[in-house]
Amino acid sequence: MKRANDSKRTYMLITIPILALFVCFNTIPLIRGVIYSFTNFKGFGTYDFVGFRNYMDLFTDSRIGGSYLFTIKLAITATIITNVISLILALGLNSRIKGKTFLRATYFVPNVLGALVVGYIFQYFFTYILPEIGSALGIEALSSSMLSNSKTAWIAIVIVCAWQSIAMNTIIYISGLQTVPEDVYEAGDLDGATGWKKFRYLTFPLIIPFFTINMVLCVKNFLMVFDQIMAMTKGGPEQSTESISYLIYNNGLSGGSFGYQSANAVVFFIVIVAISVAQMSISSKKEEQL
Amino acid sequence: MYEKMKSRVNWPVTILLFIGLITVAFPLYMTIVIAFKQPSEMTNSIAGILSLPKSWSLSNFAQAMELTDFWHSLGNSLMVTIVTVILCMLLHSLMGYAVGRNKAHSKWYNFVYLFIVSGMFVPFAILMMPLAKQTAEMHLDNWFGVILLYVVFYMPMNLLLYTGYLVNIPIALEEAARVDGASTWRTFWSIIFPIMKPMHATVAVITALAVWNDVMTPLIIMSGKGSNTLPLAQLTFQTQFGTNYNLAFASYLLALIPIIIFYVICQKQIINGVVNGAVK
Amino acid sequence: MKRKNAISAVLAVTMLAAAILPGCGANEDSGKTEIEILQYKPEAAAYFDKVEEEFNATHDDIHLTISSPNDASTIMRTRFVREDYPDIIGIGGDINYSYYVDADILADVSDYEGLADINPTYVDILESLEIVPTEGTYGVPYVANAAGILYNKDMFEEHNWKIPETWTELIDLCNEIQSEGILPFYFGFRDTWTCLAPWNALVVGLAPSDTCQRVNAGETTFENEYRETAEKCLELVSYGPDDPFAYGYNDACTAFANGESAMYPIGSYAVPQIQQVNPDMNIDSFVMPGNDDASKNTLNSGVDLMFCVTAACKNKDAAYEVLDFLLEDENIQAYIDDQNAIPCKTGDFDLSPALDGMTSFIEAGNMTDYQDHYYPSEMAADAQIQTFLINGDVDAFLQKFDTSWQRYNRDIIREVQKYNEEHGTEQ
Repeated sequence: MKRANDSKRTYMLITIPILALFVCFNTIPLIRGVIYSFTNFKGFGTYDFVGFRNYMDLFTDSRIGGSYLFTIKLAITATIITNVISLILALGLNSRIKGKTFLRATYFVPNVLGALVVGYIFQYFFTYILPEIGSALGIEALSSSMLSNSKTAWIAIVIVCAWQSIAMNTIIYISGLQTVPEDVYEAGDLDGATGWKKFRYLTFPLIIPFFTINMVLCVKNFLMVFDQIMAMTKGGPEQSTESISYLIYNNGLSGGSFGYQSANAVVFFIVIVAISVAQMSISSKKEEQL
Repeated sequence: MYEKMKSRVNWPVTILLFIGLITVAFPLYMTIVIAFKQPSEMTNSIAGILSLPKSWSLSNFAQAMELTDFWHSLGNSLMVTIVTVILCMLLHSLMGYAVGRNKAHSKWYNFVYLFIVSGMFVPFAILMMPLAKQTAEMHLDNWFGVILLYVVFYMPMNLLLYTGYLVNIPIALEEAARVDGASTWRTFWSIIFPIMKPMHATVAVITALAVWNDVMTPLIIMSGKGSNTLPLAQLTFQTQFGTNYNLAFASYLLALIPIIIFYVICQKQIINGVVNGAVK
Repeated sequence: MKRKNAISAVLAVTMLAAAILPGCGANEDSGKTEIEILQYKPEAAAYFDKVEEEFNATHDDIHLTISSPNDASTIMRTRFVREDYPDIIGIGGDINYSYYVDADILADVSDYEGLADINPTYVDILESLEIVPTEGTYGVPYVANAAGILYNKDMFEEHNWKIPETWTELIDLCNEIQSEGILPFYFGFRDTWTCLAPWNALVVGLAPSDTCQRVNAGETTFENEYRETAEKCLELVSYGPDDPFAYGYNDACTAFANGESAMYPIGSYAVPQIQQVNPDMNIDSFVMPGNDDASKNTLNSGVDLMFCVTAACKNKDAAYEVLDFLLEDENIQAYIDDQNAIPCKTGDFDLSPALDGMTSFIEAGNMTDYQDHYYPSEMAADAQIQTFLINGDVDAFLQKFDTSWQRYNRDIIREVQKYNEEHGTEQ
């Protein structure tokens, strides 16, 4: 009994100070931000409270609507692509291969390259190189720049986002694969399980927690996409690649509608939390089932 | 027999991985070539941009190092990154343990878990102004404040990672230690903390990377007072109406090296952690 | 136990290290008046470092610090939020200036004697940027930039092309250039802000300079004022590359530098970027001839950098002394040599040869501010123009411009109309 109390107290003693730190530097500023969302604060100077005006405006602003559509479309596509490729890559990099360290280090590079470099190289790729390849191969769709067409620009952003995030998701999958004991495979080998079956029924169930983590991180990173937009299109062409974060930063911080964009940020926060909680509860149900 | 299996190289996968490498090698090649070229060698023709530089002079690198006050900025970046990573590993793993071991049966810990993890989704833009004000009021508009904020910002993600990892660590391990009379605190540091090594390495890589590349936090917290970190110094290549890509690329290549070395070291730790497989 | 100790040791050391670091920047109190300038052009950092050094060497009673940080606009805003104001800020003459005046952040400097030497056109430009007319002057214009059309001088001489002075001449010239197999213009419209360059240059000649104020006062609409500009802008684009929206600012600068087009409608600020690629290039410029009546043309020029004393500045006299130093002829000359800028001070200065074609307008004071300095940035006028240039729908564009103007300028419009009710419309 004493032991149980001891551990309970220890857990509390750990949790309370760290939680306090979090509340102080995350929750309190967030609450202050929420207060700004009810004002016409420009980011400086004086301001007035305007009630729910900012929130009402959000629902009639076609730009906000467009940015939600674009962001969600991007997040779903990029999440799927990133997870599929990084899982395959992690399995590959975790198998018995030559040059493991070299390969792992090189596949990590996209994650580290600065936005300026990534922006320049991919802009060059989409503006000059890809159209050239496209017309050489006689593919009509590729023969003009993807970035100048509002129907295709978002695909270019998806490619860049996936290219950059695959590295991080791969690391998480690799560390997940380390928790899969060798004997599981040995047992599998005895049962004659191979390839896809081995993955589906032996490996995958064991790394589901990591799958969940990756899904959550992907959804978070892609819903909040900003750097890649700034580096590639700055919201164009025809305002077709304005992400929600892009509007919040550009209009709220560089522009003069800090209050309005705070309201946008608050609504956005609620939306992502709702999506993520739903996602996590679905995957934790799956974890229990398996 | 086990040894034999280990030494067999999976050639098809190796070859496929090397082929896939082109997606990284090509941009990297472009970066390197541009970093060595002079601005006057920049063109819009594909052959021109992909050609080798006229001379492999290191002058761009020297100039970039001078412009960014490289060693000084590097020192700041290293200091901030290392301190943050160490603090994150210690505090977040502890938090991950306390929350992860209890969230299944305690409403309070489950709430704490969701509360902190949802902090991940707060758009940074909404926090910026209030934080700028708050840190100034608390006299935290310095490196210490920046590090403190990083510990808070990456807490949600790291908590997610640590608690996720904890699921696969059998509770029986701790119970054995407790039977021997160890306190919960001791059990954590002597058994759980070491066993989380692969996750520490993962957390270290992800946190280090995020801190290493971050511009916004030092920018708004210190508001230009005090010296630059590398990415802050690198903004100098990009002004309103002009960018010197050659110098910038040289500088970014230099900034790439420390983090890649760090990653390679951490990777070894992730892999060496296989031991825990035997425990299960 | 050992491990625990080791961990606490690491923790203690890191905490200590972090705690000591801020101590390094301690202020030495020397009894001098401290003046701090925060200016937004990091590209001129070397120049300002030199000025700072020279000033401190020659002044015993004032200690000057000039910071030229990267991303100064974010830094300014966070410092304003903390109410930690620098003594002097160096900003551009755009809508942010209007906001700062409106927010009472800046001090009235009309008692500053140096203002008398400033080209009155630029002082007027600042006046009209104020949201509602205020008494006093809130900034000292330092340097300006101008936008028009840059051209490849050697190419023009080789083909014997003449500088156009009217819209018809410009279009004829474009056709002539095209017939010789050369591309007349290059554009980098993927970077949306570059869409504003030809737009601004055209609109100063085609729409009244107070269009935005009159719209705010409810006297006109953009649909009435901007139609001709929109149509002509669209016509210009047809003389550019096939898909101008594929290329960025940097691509366009590189292409123009490599002789891929004869002209490039952009501001004087692009010259250094172009010369970086081709240092020997002979670049000159001319004023965008938007009208068919050459006398109606005006140079599109605005304040690129000005110095404003903040209301929080404790020692205005010391601040003025610093401004005096900055405005010394040799300092201004050094700045314009370094940054290819146009001085706002009257007097004899050597301008960059790339501005030759604009000098007569500058000397005559025939300059009109960029209209986009009145556009709130969150309205994304540049993106709207890009959209319009892609789809070519003039009516839809103008309607959208009007509606979004009303939306984003709501607070300003209310303020202006309230002012006008109280004071009666002027003129």
